[in-house]
Amino acid sequence: MIFFKRQLPLAITFVMGAAFAFQYYVPHPASEEAITHVADWMKIITGFALILGIASLFHVHAVKVKRQVPGWGYSFVLYAAMLVTIVVGFLSKGETKIDGTQTGFGWLYDYTMVPLQGTMFSILAFFIASAAYRAFRARSREASVLLAAAVVVMMGRVPLGQFLVPWTWDVTQWLLNVLNSAVRRAILIGVSMGAVALSLKIILGIERSYLGGGRDQ
Amino acid sequence: MIGIDRRIIFLLIGFATLLPLLKPFGLPIKVSPEVRAVYEYIEALPERSVFLLSFDFDPSSKPELEPQATALLRHAFRKNLRVIGMTHWLTGTGLADGVFSKVAAEMGKERGKDYVFLGWAPGTGALIISMGQDLYKAFPSDYSKNPTRGMPVLVGVRTLRDVNYLVSLAAGGAGIEMWYVFGKDKYRFEMGGGSTGVIAPGLYPFLRSGQINGLIGGLQGAAEYETLIRQKGTATAGMDAQSATHFVIIILVLLCNVFYFLLRDQKGRSA
Amino acid sequence: MPEQLIPTGTFLGAWVAAGLTLFIYSFLYTDNPLFKLGEHLYVGVSVGYSVVVVWYTVFIRLVGEEIKKGNFEPIIPVFIGLLILTRFIPKIAWLSRIAFAFVVGFGSGVAIPRTVSALILKQIEDTVNPLFTLGEGGLSLGWDLALPQSGVNTVILLVGVVSVLFYFFYSIEHAGPAKVAARTGIYFLMIAFGAAFGYTVMSRMSLLIGRFADLIMFSGAEYGYATLVLLGVIIVTLALWEIAIRRREGHSPPE
Repeated sequence: MIFFKRQLPLAITFVMGAAFAFQYYVPHPASEEAITHVADWMKIITGFALILGIASLFHVHAVKVKRQVPGWGYSFVLYAAMLVTIVVGFLSKGETKIDGTQTGFGWLYDYTMVPLQGTMFSILAFFIASAAYRAFRARSREASVLLAAAVVVMMGRVPLGQFLVPWTWDVTQWLLNVLNSAVRRAILIGVSMGAVALSLKIILGIERSYLGGGRDQ
Repeated sequence: MIGIDRRIIFLLIGFATLLPLLKPFGLPIKVSPEVRAVYEYIEALPERSVFLLSFDFDPSSKPELEPQATALLRHAFRKNLRVIGMTHWLTGTGLADGVFSKVAAEMGKERGKDYVFLGWAPGTGALIISMGQDLYKAFPSDYSKNPTRGMPVLVGVRTLRDVNYLVSLAAGGAGIEMWYVFGKDKYRFEMGGGSTGVIAPGLYPFLRSGQINGLIGGLQGAAEYETLIRQKGTATAGMDAQSATHFVIIILVLLCNVFYFLLRDQKGRSA
Repeated sequence: MPEQLIPTGTFLGAWVAAGLTLFIYSFLYTDNPLFKLGEHLYVGVSVGYSVVVVWYTVFIRLVGEEIKKGNFEPIIPVFIGLLILTRFIPKIAWLSRIAFAFVVGFGSGVAIPRTVSALILKQIEDTVNPLFTLGEGGLSLGWDLALPQSGVNTVILLVGVVSVLFYFFYSIEHAGPAKVAARTGIYFLMIAFGAAFGYTVMSRMSLLIGRFADLIMFSGAEYGYATLVLLGVIIVTLALWEIAIRRREGHSPPE
């Protein structure tokens, strides 16, 4: 039994990982066919994985409603909103428009989801201003450099800044294309090497945390 | 003064955003080389070339990326390109279809003949590989449930290798980088990028190395593109408010430091 | 009430959108029931939308319609997907490991060569560009700072990449020449973070501009002054709520 619970998954990971790492270098039609089919399968499997995420959310709020923890009424609102959206969605056959006419599903999307999602993220603008006022201090040489770069970029990237202080445009372009590029490139190379190392560890069975689910016997 | 109620700062930002929207002052917009590069590539494409626009964002990035999408689509339709749209972001599907329908109607373009919106499919990297191997297997039907095989707009297009230019409008991970790593690296189409301001600085290494030929960054980038196509839209309208808010932030930061140094001097003298 | 010139659905939608937007912005005053309502509605609608789109895209379009055409290949990924769902049944949850092994193995395998090629080799290739160009007057080092590919910028880029990579290399002590390299890296990092901050401010302000533009549109007569009316209603509601809180607790609500 332990073979099926531990060794088999690790073996599958190794075979899949090694095969599709080498596939990149093999232009043979059979190799191209293999990746075509498996990539298609992954799309469907990802759909099932999304169900997992959605079900977890269901469960978290179901517990809140069941135990009537403080604020459980809001979880009820969440469920109601979810249910209404699903029902309207199925009645609209998943379409936001039919023959150019907006459906109920499209209405919900345009007038509830879009404004809610947009506003949730736009509220950060206020907090960034408040945080900048309270915390953005030139306490050291490094902080001063950061502050100076931020001010130059903020001026250089808007028409008013370009109009009042024209050199901020050119300096911003140089900062982004040279200095910023250098740093981002170094971070990208470092992170990518880490990602490759992690992928190798997963394929070789050294890293196993992704397996989860169930206990070894 | 440093301990000022933050709601006063919120009010300042609110007014700095609202007043220029109500009374714009209209300053000229300077075009950067990276935005011009995307424009010039599309401008040079022959009629009926295949242009793939990937709407890799959701409503949270709508104010920045929708104007970019609108400007790019207007340009592409004006050049009579065949436009293929799709998205990697599930919650962005309705938004993307809305933009397509609106601009296509404005430019008198026909779905299925001049453009197709494929919609969303899961998989991100796997989806790109799938499109690179066989577009019709990746998307057997479009967003409106019409079969993709045999569609006039997709004649001669079998895989990503048949795409002449791709632009990914990205708000995060599943976007430009992913399109390059899983797409352009193997399937060798040319690509450019549009992004939110948050991720734009991180894309400059790709721009420098030629992995993307151009980059439209944030609302400013969208305004620059609108200037190039000589059709002002929501991005240009928002630039005055952008200027005002930036200056408010700069003044707040400078004030914060003035008070900080004054306080520090006072403490130093009293010690 | 002015004559309605827009469709009823759009008119109603404007009121709903403006109301929900102001509910969320009410958080700027203080955390309150209107914000919590908006927040939970957002999550509920988003999840509901995702469920519908996943159902029609994956199960109907990619599986159902393919099987109807006589292509039974999707049964294989459906079977693997069902294995993922066994995670909900503790007795057979171990079966989900097989599915995850399949997915993660594939993902890791395809990522390695593509990451190495696209994100490592290509980036290194562009970092080690030629410094000198051969022109009519012989070899020359380009001094034009405005040109990203000039010789002087190539040198700065190379110094930047190496010093930042060195800063994150903790296997040797940052002392002596190593300290100089690390300190150089820190200054490069500070400039990049400053640029990132500037761009983040630009991005967040853009989002705010977008929402305000919609609120301004919905404050028009054709939408029945939705924004203005709802703003007034919300201010009154928050005032009444705060009075009720103060009476109950006898002190100011937390900020």
